[in-house]
Amino acid sequence: MAAVLECQDLHKGFGGIPVLNGVSLALEHGTVTALAGENGAGKSTLMKIASGQYRADSGTVTVDGAELRTGSMAEAHRSGVAIVPQELASLPDMTVYENLFVGQEIRRFGVLDRRAMIRQAEQALAVFDVHIRVTARMRSLPVGLQQIVEIVKATRTGAKVLLLDEPSSAISEREVAGLYRVVNRLRDQGVAMIYTTHKMEEIRALADRVVVLRDGNLVLDQAMTGTSDEEIVTAMIGRELGTLFPERSTAAAEPVLEVRDLQVVGASAPVSLTVRRGEILGLAGLVGAGRTELIEGIFGVRRTSAGTIAVSGEEVHRQRPQAAIRGGMALVPEDRKHSGAILGMTVLENGTLPRLASFSVAGWLRNRSRADKVGAAMRSVQLRSRGLGQEVGTLSGGNQQKVVLARWLTGDVKVLLLDEPTRGVDVGARSEIYRIITDLAATGVGVVMASSDMPEILGLANRALVMRGGAVAGELSQDDLGRPDVQARIFSLAAGLDAPAARGPSVTADGAPGPSVATDGGPGRTVTADGGAVTHGSSALLLDATHTTPTAEDPT
Amino acid sequence: MTDTAQATEPAVADTQSSAVTTSPTTGEPVRRFSGPWWAALALRNAMLIVVVLVICYFSYRSLRFTSVENLTTILIAAAPFALIALGQTLVILTGGIDLSVGSVIAMSAMAAAAVAKANPGQVWLTVLTALVVGLVAGAVNGFFVSVVSVPPFIATLGMLTAGSGIAYAIGGGAPINGLPAEFGTIANTKVLGLQIPVIVMIIGIVGLAIVMRRSAYGMRVYAVGGNRAAAEIAGVNARRVLFSVYAISGVLAGLSGVMLASRVISGPPNLGQGYELDAIAAVVIGGASLMGGRGSVWGTALGLILIQTLNNGLDILLVPSYWQDVIKGVLIVFAVAVDVWTTRRRQ
Repeated sequence: MAAVLECQDLHKGFGGIPVLNGVSLALEHGTVTALAGENGAGKSTLMKIASGQYRADSGTVTVDGAELRTGSMAEAHRSGVAIVPQELASLPDMTVYENLFVGQEIRRFGVLDRRAMIRQAEQALAVFDVHIRVTARMRSLPVGLQQIVEIVKATRTGAKVLLLDEPSSAISEREVAGLYRVVNRLRDQGVAMIYTTHKMEEIRALADRVVVLRDGNLVLDQAMTGTSDEEIVTAMIGRELGTLFPERSTAAAEPVLEVRDLQVVGASAPVSLTVRRGEILGLAGLVGAGRTELIEGIFGVRRTSAGTIAVSGEEVHRQRPQAAIRGGMALVPEDRKHSGAILGMTVLENGTLPRLASFSVAGWLRNRSRADKVGAAMRSVQLRSRGLGQEVGTLSGGNQQKVVLARWLTGDVKVLLLDEPTRGVDVGARSEIYRIITDLAATGVGVVMASSDMPEILGLANRALVMRGGAVAGELSQDDLGRPDVQARIFSLAAGLDAPAARGPSVTADGAPGPSVATDGGPGRTVTADGGAVTHGSSALLLDATHTTPTAEDPT
Repeated sequence: MTDTAQATEPAVADTQSSAVTTSPTTGEPVRRFSGPWWAALALRNAMLIVVVLVICYFSYRSLRFTSVENLTTILIAAAPFALIALGQTLVILTGGIDLSVGSVIAMSAMAAAAVAKANPGQVWLTVLTALVVGLVAGAVNGFFVSVVSVPPFIATLGMLTAGSGIAYAIGGGAPINGLPAEFGTIANTKVLGLQIPVIVMIIGIVGLAIVMRRSAYGMRVYAVGGNRAAAEIAGVNARRVLFSVYAISGVLAGLSGVMLASRVISGPPNLGQGYELDAIAAVVIGGASLMGGRGSVWGTALGLILIQTLNNGLDILLVPSYWQDVIKGVLIVFAVAVDVWTTRRRQ
């Protein structure tokens, strides 16, 4: 069969650094190609070139034999290439049918023909067995349904190629079933799809073919039949970890952070964990597994309803970041721009902020001492800036992250909480940040590090917890982390796959409808849990249908 | 080199979203503006230059403008505006807005006038009353903004409307007249050759400028306005900071109210009407961002000088008041447009 979309030897670099090194790819009608690879492997860049958002440095993209002028999204759309981005771009306060027709409104005598749009919207959704009230506000739908509406919007006008960029990252596992059904229906209609993911079970469930990118190179491209999970995982991760990660120090015996039965509001079960002096505890899990929530709960910026937190044996008041800081905790949050640094303030000001009290006498800042202390802290992480007076927003990502980390080092840190410490950080700074983390651990700091970057967990942590649905799904010792099958174990624990030992804690948790309900909830519960958010409860039809999909285990 | 690409995608996204480019080799920011030093200096002080030009123009057109009496007039007229503009600066630095200051002026002036009438001779009591009224009004604003999380625009709009009603209610729907002469001493006494309101204004500007630059509190205000989530993670009690700026704004409006009432030795219930807009204009002309986190007391002072100079100078040149409004409106937008433009050029 002829290929509908063909990428030939695509090269793309940003600022002289190559992101894609000659990637070639061909999609056939009515097939799903899983595009796998770690964060930063080049998946999004490839998708953006194929959908006309970026212009390739060299190479061509052809649709049905006609060359696509890359760099023009409108032209790509006209040629039949549609993309559903990872971050949904819907208009939450407009209705479902308005979202479907925005930009392509049906008009009669110059005014909007709402009746026709409503009718056509219902028809378009009915094709996918989605029967929702199309006059409902987009906001009132669960994210999974919003995404299906986005997919319908992208394909309604006859797309030949559909690019789905990590479609499952924002939705719960239960909603994934509805997504699968839509993808399967589109395949039947002959649409060629790229489905970006790094979850094995989705690749298994959907893909006809799997393509793996690593560091901008296409390292695997073959039919799913006859391809083992190990092959794919090895292709995704197979790289040397040794060079990037410094030597780990061994942890002392005495605990520095003790969390007992901490119930984060919204999590399915309370969490207990202990971190010893000098230990780096990794938190692994899928997006939405509750790692960020747990870390924020420990630090006190997120609501917790029960439990105790103690640092060096002394209890720290919950839900009060000031108390956590006084107790010796420090937090480097996930989203640097949103909650890490204050970009409009200088390095000195950002460095002063967490320990204002120690830099001021009766409320007045002591400029000499803070310049000395902040300067020393910034030097210890080898910050590259024009000086302490430079605005943090003008630093590079890696240097911003160093500021967010180093600002705590002006005082005594006993527990360092890191949430995705190297997200959006370039490689050079990344290895420096690893060195800083291990150096701090070597001085006796207890580190908790949530990371979606598997090598980071394997290369840095002394011990790792795998989280799912806000609860701890399993624990891996340093020995476990060194075993060759550790990747697969973490994957299966995080996704709640077949390993029975892994399923135990989440199901028995407390019966709360967490993301793993697909396996333990009856039809009635499934409907009420999600249908409540939808006007007229009409999503019940969609959600009931989950039981006919490959992942559903209970056909009743 | 194995995972070069790993970090490249996000890093590139970073540079695209901000106006600053980073050098690919060192990761160091590259400064885009590279003109002569005097152009850079002029860009950095564009508003100061505008103010100087306006003053030069009026001095050239009228000899009376630069006379000592006239400069004193400008300062006296500026004082009540200066106080509310200072409060407004704090509020705007946190990303909020205080629309209620005009009504708080009216309320505190009426309350002070009522107390003055009932207790002749007790000048301090009237001042205290005005301050307490201002504090209560500001605290109510602060409560709704920081604890209930009502948007500042709405919370203070409510206070603007309700406060105006309360001001009329205090006087039973009419101005309070026939006040004892001592009441006038608050605004009309001279110390070291300057009226008390002028001295209060100078102390207020200098004092607050120092607080904002040198105190932990000032830094917290900037931090909450610059990025509330990040400030909270750094241990700043954002609610307390938000509450405090509205309370301070209220107290300063109360002080402004009693000084205005004292100057005319009466309590007109419509006193201060519309002042909030001039105060906001002064802050914004001074380079503050309504999104919070950017601005300064010196900037506000500059904005204040510009507005008061215009008011006074156009009066002297006998420009009709309706044309004065047109000129002021155009100048406010022009001033901020210049500021936005120069900020972009500087990066």
